[in-house]
Amino acid sequence: MAEIVGALGVPHTPFFPSLVEREGPDCETARFFAAVKKELEAMRPDLIVMYDTDHLNTFFLDNLPVFALGVTEVFHGPNDEPRAVPIYTIKSRPDVAAHLRRTCIDSGFDLALTQQFTVDHSVVVPLHFMTPTMRVPVIPIFVSGHIPPLPSARRCYELGVAVKRAIESWPDKLRVVVIGSGSFSLEVFGPRIAPGKSDGVPDPDWAKRVCALLEQGATETLLTEATSEQMLRAGNVGGELLDWIAMLGAVGERRPKFVTPQMEQGHAYAAWNWS
Amino acid sequence: MSVYAVNYLCRELLRDHAFRAAMKADPAAALAKQDLTEEERKALLAGDVARLYRLGVNAFLMGYLPRFEVCGLTMPIYNERIRSAADDVRTGH
Repeated sequence: MAEIVGALGVPHTPFFPSLVEREGPDCETARFFAAVKKELEAMRPDLIVMYDTDHLNTFFLDNLPVFALGVTEVFHGPNDEPRAVPIYTIKSRPDVAAHLRRTCIDSGFDLALTQQFTVDHSVVVPLHFMTPTMRVPVIPIFVSGHIPPLPSARRCYELGVAVKRAIESWPDKLRVVVIGSGSFSLEVFGPRIAPGKSDGVPDPDWAKRVCALLEQGATETLLTEATSEQMLRAGNVGGELLDWIAMLGAVGERRPKFVTPQMEQGHAYAAWNWS
Repeated sequence: MSVYAVNYLCRELLRDHAFRAAMKADPAAALAKQDLTEEERKALLAGDVARLYRLGVNAFLMGYLPRFEVCGLTMPIYNERIRSAADDVRTGH
């Protein structure tokens, strides 16, 4: 039987690879990603399931699924030219992915299907730091967290629970790690960016609150407080919290091994390791 | 539907390198073939990103305009102009 052995939450800031290339392995971002990488390696995963919000690069406004799952042997990315990131070929597990999709549809989550796709920095930047050899296959699950109306926090959490059950119903032995990729408070190229920058953190108090609730394992409270209005108030990509919330579907009310905030960016790095 | 066309052409700046070059060389000519309202065309050519934001154009797609430095936009100019739309931020569901 497959089992989920741990969960991680990470940011995916597109300029982090070039920043780390410039500032070296001792800079804060490099250290924070190294800590998460260490956890991932300790979990010895056979497969990563990653919740991600695409920035209108994999999908676009002509055809925008609220939830979608990639079923493919391999996919490539990034497709949006972040600096200092090579184009990776990322293996996947189409057999497991098709099983997850079928099982989720049977349990009430009608996941859209994508079989030929590329991914943007939001998938690749975390993998670039955490598993640069791309040894571990990745199944991406896309959550529409940027373009209102957003799915509700509770719906995303329940998706995470459905995916967890689907993983656990895979008959073969498989160690699975789920990852949520995104920020809690961030404005990208919108009116609330900081002077002189291309981004900003409109609601640092909300980012702090999210970190505190994660720290406490207070998932139910987070689902109540993470309204669409709150997430959008926290920035035009504030809905990326939904990727963390879907990841929490595998975590439940467990407390994390660590939550490391990076408040000037409105996000955090976190690990739950119960194996 | 037309705001869609602005969103689409912003993303084409990333994906279509020939369109990117055409926009850098002669934006008016490159936009002539696009299905835009006159208001959108004028705002794009003027680099009036606050106006485009108010019309409903997606902000992170507009970010490709200064990233590839088209329509007279650089990051500092974009930064000033987009922040002038701060009173019109959309946080509605």
